Amino acid sequence: MLNALRVLILSLLLAGCTKDIDYQTLTIPYSTDIRGFDPAFATDLRTGKVISLLYDNLVRFDLDMNLVPGAAKHWSVSADGRKYTFIIRNNIRFHNGDLLTVDDIIVSFERILNPQTSSPQTWLLDRITGAKEYLQGYTDSVRGLTVINDSTLTIELDEPFSPFIQYLAMPATAIINKNEMEHLTNIPAGSGPWKLDKWERDGEILFTRNIDYWDGSPKIEHLRIRILSEIMTQSAEFEAGSLDIYEVPKGELEYWRDKDYNKKEENELIIRYVGMNCSRPPFDNIYLRKAMNYAIDREKIIHILLNGSATITSGPVPPRFLTGEVRTQYEYNPGKAINLLKKAGYKNGLNTELYVAGGSEMFHVLEALQSDWAAVGINVEIKRSDWNVFKTAVREGKPDLYYLDWYADYPDGENFLYPLFHSKESMTKRNRFSDPDVDAIIEKIQRLPDNAERQSLIVEANNMIADKAPWVFLWHSKTTYLTQKWIGGFRPSPIFNAQRYTLVTKQIGP
Amino acid sequence: MIRYFINRLLQAIPVLFGVIIITFILMYVIPGDPVVSMVGERYSEETIQRLREEMHLNDPVPIQFIRYVGNVLKGDFGKSFITGEPVTVIIMEKFPNTMMLAVVAMIFAVLIGVSLGMISSISPGSILDRGIMILALAGISAPVFWVGLILVLVVGVMLQWLPPTGFGGIEYIILPALTLGLRSAAYLARLTRSTMLEVLSQDYIRTARSKGLPEWKVFLKHAFPNTLIPVITVIGTDFGSYLSGAVLTESIFGWPGMGRLALEAILKRDFPVIQGTVLFMAVMFVMVNVIVDLLYGVIDPRIRMERTGKQ
Repeated sequence: MLNALRVLILSLLLAGCTKDIDYQTLTIPYSTDIRGFDPAFATDLRTGKVISLLYDNLVRFDLDMNLVPGAAKHWSVSADGRKYTFIIRNNIRFHNGDLLTVDDIIVSFERILNPQTSSPQTWLLDRITGAKEYLQGYTDSVRGLTVINDSTLTIELDEPFSPFIQYLAMPATAIINKNEMEHLTNIPAGSGPWKLDKWERDGEILFTRNIDYWDGSPKIEHLRIRILSEIMTQSAEFEAGSLDIYEVPKGELEYWRDKDYNKKEENELIIRYVGMNCSRPPFDNIYLRKAMNYAIDREKIIHILLNGSATITSGPVPPRFLTGEVRTQYEYNPGKAINLLKKAGYKNGLNTELYVAGGSEMFHVLEALQSDWAAVGINVEIKRSDWNVFKTAVREGKPDLYYLDWYADYPDGENFLYPLFHSKESMTKRNRFSDPDVDAIIEKIQRLPDNAERQSLIVEANNMIADKAPWVFLWHSKTTYLTQKWIGGFRPSPIFNAQRYTLVTKQIGP
Repeated sequence: MIRYFINRLLQAIPVLFGVIIITFILMYVIPGDPVVSMVGERYSEETIQRLREEMHLNDPVPIQFIRYVGNVLKGDFGKSFITGEPVTVIIMEKFPNTMMLAVVAMIFAVLIGVSLGMISSISPGSILDRGIMILALAGISAPVFWVGLILVLVVGVMLQWLPPTGFGGIEYIILPALTLGLRSAAYLARLTRSTMLEVLSQDYIRTARSKGLPEWKVFLKHAFPNTLIPVITVIGTDFGSYLSGAVLTESIFGWPGMGRLALEAILKRDFPVIQGTVLFMAVMFVMVNVIVDLLYGVIDPRIRMERTGKQ
């Protein structure tokens, strides 16, 4: 039979099926497909990444997380922090040739807020003056969006809110061609560095470079995103040379360590944690929450189980957003954990459950945590379920404990505070943590422009939250990227939508 | 014949109705919430409520059910919760891929399975026969994902004879089709061998041999046609399930077919897509079975006569 197979395969090969490396096309894998090309529904990382290839925003992030000009060549903020003025470039063309105008921007933003659109991303723009009325359907336009002239636009907010400018770099605030808004799920209408060729659902997404792109055409002609849901398949394809860039799964680090590929490591803007339900027993007890934190040996897990691919936490905020020395508040101290447990009234330990989403590559790590907790008398049973069931349970506040992570939407310490710990968010979708001091400091951070005072408040909030221990703070992960020998100019970025592959080259030779 | 065909199709209606009911109930019984897959992390409660309203998820389940059945009867299978595209469009995009894979897999299965079974039956008990039967046993027992990964690694990565995975020209379909067809091939090999051995011991074969017919003629002309019935039977059962998509094979090879569509829809609780694909798969399964039934009659006149006799 093998012989028969061989003959069959060889004969097909002779028929001319061999494939050489295509130096005109950069190929990268995604593990699941995107939702489409409509910015209004870009709620997941992959869709967001694709939106950033196809569209422009007023501003965007570069690979080093700096906020840089996009469709707006300049912008300024009024002294009271409420009014933003943007000067728009007059040389940007959409992929169909239409000129990008101030009107396109207004229409794109109003579309997100329009109740007919049903976008889940209204939070990005609902602080604009008049946005709430518009969202309710009371008005026909958003008062705070004003066209001054052909190239000037102002946006007025109800309150000073410093993260707003970063919101404008998010996928949902991408600028859409107002004349082509009909079929955005399938047909993008942007002005970005890549044009869509084809979307074969669950197969691949093909792009051609926008040779006239105002910020410089991508160096490589085509970009191909392949949807490969199996990690094993991705790794086989990379080894066969048909993928150019490969994000190494945590479990495979050892395997790839000494292989002859170019390697790039990036500290991701991510925190992994175990959320504890702070609004009901047993984890409404702060001593117990601290005991959970002291009981685990993070250093050892990072070193042995994660092959060093993570850094220790000082609280929720990643070290890049913290000034001064960063150190952990919770060293490994099982003795202290046992004492705290007694103080909390659990002399004989306790039994509880940890919810985990299925498909997590972290089960061996969770088992290590489980055994560390068991050593001090906290018996944690791990409950797995699929992602949707897990997310629904977390949203409804069902689990006492759950393992989850948080990726940055935009590079700001505030993004690791408000959405996770402000009572408005935490009480409705996360671990039911509510603390007036924490709320107050977060709100203050949101009002202040980026200055020394704000930076020190972020440090303060980070330490305050670490001290109240609403989570078991685990670690910030690093990601290793491998690239083929023929790939040049690739640099990973910690911000998901900063990567536009415009500088990547693919050629023979070193 | 035509009456029989129509009868069979009519019989399928309660089956399909049952499928609709069961899928519907299952979707509302399993935990999870479709809205959660749609809204990301920063949604507001109003967004959730608005989406629920729009998707009619706030209506009582019986009303949702009646509306759904009504729409299905009008040929409207709804729109995906996730992408907003009509379910029929999504299915029609995937089905040709699945069909292609299923057909090629079935061709592989028949070619490999039947020829190996025939070879095996030439000299039962020989080393060749035993070798083939062990191989067939291995083929039946080996898990699909394992076979797939081994093919990817050996043929795609180590030997580099074919692209490991992907979708496109003829070179891409060979490995997934082999993976998918191998089990049927193994089963067919065993079935063909046993059918052949049974037939070869019958009187009319002895007569043929005693007439002095060359052995190959006895084999191919007199014995072989008898294997068509088991072949058709296997095609009937396996082809139907291939058409419903092969989740594992499709996942390993990055093949954009019905199996992955259904899996993704289930993971995201995309109710209209789940309902649409399950119903479509059921229709396919019923159709294949009806066709196979008809083929029996074409191949074997005895079955045809029996049938007409009854009516």
